[in-house]
Amino acid sequence: MIPELGHLFLISALVLTFVTGFLPYIGAVIGRHVFFNYVFAISKFSFLLISISLICLIYSFLVDDFSVMYVASNSNTNLPFYYKLTATWGAHEGSLLLWIFFISLWKVLYLNRNGSEENFNIIALTIINQVVFTFIAFTLFTSNPFERILPLSPIQGNDLNPLLQDFAFTIHPPLLYLGYSGLVVPFAMAVAAMLTGNTDSLWCRFARPWVLLSSGFLTLGISVGSWWAYYELGWGGWWFWDPVENMAFVPWLVSVALIHSLITSEKRGLYRNWSLLLSILAFATSLLGTFLVRSGILTSVHAFALDPERGVFILAIFFYFICGSLLIYFFKNSKIREEATYNILSKEFGFLLNNILLVVLALSILFGTIFPLIYEAINVRQISVGAPYFDFLIIPFAVGLSFLQGLGLYLGWHSTKSFNFLIRLLVETFTIMIIIFLVLYFLFGEGNFYLLLSILAFSWILSGTILDKPFNTKNSKEIRDFLYYRAEVIFAHLGTAFLILGVGVVSTYSMETEVLLAPGEEFKLGDSKFTFKEIKTRKEQNYNSTQARLSVSTNNSSYDLITEKRYYPFANQMMTEAGIKTLITKDFYVTLGDELGEKYSFRLQIKPFVRWIWFGALMVAIGTFLSAYRQRKRNEKIS
Amino acid sequence: MNPIRKQRVYALVAILLGVSVAIFLVLNGLKQNLNLFYTPTQVIKENLLEVNKLARLGGMVKENSFTEHTNSLMKSFEITDFNESIMVVYKGILPDLFSEGSGVVVQGMLTEEGSFEASEVLAKHDENYMPPEVAKTLKYK
Repeated sequence: MIPELGHLFLISALVLTFVTGFLPYIGAVIGRHVFFNYVFAISKFSFLLISISLICLIYSFLVDDFSVMYVASNSNTNLPFYYKLTATWGAHEGSLLLWIFFISLWKVLYLNRNGSEENFNIIALTIINQVVFTFIAFTLFTSNPFERILPLSPIQGNDLNPLLQDFAFTIHPPLLYLGYSGLVVPFAMAVAAMLTGNTDSLWCRFARPWVLLSSGFLTLGISVGSWWAYYELGWGGWWFWDPVENMAFVPWLVSVALIHSLITSEKRGLYRNWSLLLSILAFATSLLGTFLVRSGILTSVHAFALDPERGVFILAIFFYFICGSLLIYFFKNSKIREEATYNILSKEFGFLLNNILLVVLALSILFGTIFPLIYEAINVRQISVGAPYFDFLIIPFAVGLSFLQGLGLYLGWHSTKSFNFLIRLLVETFTIMIIIFLVLYFLFGEGNFYLLLSILAFSWILSGTILDKPFNTKNSKEIRDFLYYRAEVIFAHLGTAFLILGVGVVSTYSMETEVLLAPGEEFKLGDSKFTFKEIKTRKEQNYNSTQARLSVSTNNSSYDLITEKRYYPFANQMMTEAGIKTLITKDFYVTLGDELGEKYSFRLQIKPFVRWIWFGALMVAIGTFLSAYRQRKRNEKIS
Repeated sequence: MNPIRKQRVYALVAILLGVSVAIFLVLNGLKQNLNLFYTPTQVIKENLLEVNKLARLGGMVKENSFTEHTNSLMKSFEITDFNESIMVVYKGILPDLFSEGSGVVVQGMLTEEGSFEASEVLAKHDENYMPPEVAKTLKYK
């Protein structure tokens, strides 16, 4: 009964989003504007229906209703209840419903912020409703989560993929989807701005908090995913340039570009057409990501079932929205002549370079990701683009962007008055660089060119964002003001600096080996000695486990590490849990391999500074959210 | 030159510079990092793969072909597309989802002796998942 109710609510939401998404335009064409009046109320109501629909699916999971096919394939009576909850978005159908829920959530949030019934808001709402409509249609026609297996429904389910039975996984998809789907708001606002002819700075001012929020959630979602992959996949890697990772990274890059271009459009009235196009591009990359992931046409570790029909459907959605908005841009948008002038050594030009670097990088990554498809279409041979392609590609862009981040706070609008700071900045940068280099040298030994590059980037950003100004200001109030008013920039840019240094150190000094050990035997990796203590077996609620205890001793201290192999009988799947010990400067990371007679195989790893990567990402997210909050406050003052 | 026009020239130069650097990096990067995918038939019958060239090989792990050494991490197994099969040697720990009778993709090089030395066995998240390359290979049968 409950699943049918959920299904019914979803169908009603489909009808209502059609009414609010398309009827106003038909009404406008035939000269009846009545439909406009109901957009707000019906929009809210359809959100309510979608929420109840999602709750129905969650309920089916919690009560183990295996007559629902989706529940039967992704859950099990032995699953702890919190994993039953997260199993709701553990596979294609349910995660789509979550995605729809989030788009309508953004819609309602937009509605609450911009409640006045002017054409701009109504048009923006209709656009979001159109997006919701197409995705509900997609769900109902190709991937209905409420489909039943009747009358012969199974008494036991297949279990949730063991890799997904994990805390980080409970929050990774919601965070990522919030970010992904949030890009619908600036897109809808851009279309509304073009259709109403309001492409002035006001539009940019109000769009910015939404972009910042999306970008912040994308940052969190991506980094939680990376953290999860690090400890759960048992390989100790934190980024694999997997197509699905790339397709989350590309919208992130575009959203960051959009944040900076919107600042310029708002403050100086420049790049306004570009900001419109970028809003479209951001949403386009988000849709394209959905398409590539859901259609399964790319080889990826993020396995969704292959179904070409789904691919065609999403491709149609993609072309409708992107071609539609581009047509509006070219024919309806009255091109604004940009009057403001600026010097080449100015903030405006800095933001221009920032945008070029970010967008070109995003497009190059996108190209590398879909290149196997292009190649196959032309040569009928299958290829893969190796991770070194992306590593090689990103370094020059990272260098350029770091350079701009260090300068950012010194460049002035229109022109920069004095460049006296440059000497100071360089002196500080090289001082910090030498200190870090020596510390790393004593801790881990010789480095290489790329490490130096990352130390340089780190020191430059550190001096440029937080060291130089406070050091060279006598007045303590001025220092406080700087730290207070610039907090969001400091957080976001310093976060990237930490991330870059973390990446540099972990790629240079990581150590890894695979060994065979019998209980009692030891192995020395670098200065650290790993000892295999004992092995034992254990039975848990929904899996059996073989646990190995190791100890690692370094600098007169010793730590215990526990790694296990789990066997999940319902899913008939093996899983390895890594044993990780985190110290300030490094992680010890061990994974259990197979049993070979008396011995067991292990992968032993030492990962210096790896935590800095996620710590940096967290700082970026904090800065982004803070900026969203402050921009919203400023907007409230003027409206 | 009037300031607005000057501004446009700067912007244009920056864009062209950015795009051309990117094109250079992309083309160069692709040239060095493309790994072609081969099936056992392509390697053995059609002799398409040169010796000592990095490539990917995919198919099913042949039943009863897996052996492992007891004193080292050396393992060997055969990959088949049900026409031809090829011996793969790998030193290291295999991913959890590796098993006989399921699909697999390995990366490595063909040796002089005609076996394939894998440096990487690609892990998948889900036991029901079949890499698209392998699925296509098997579909053409």
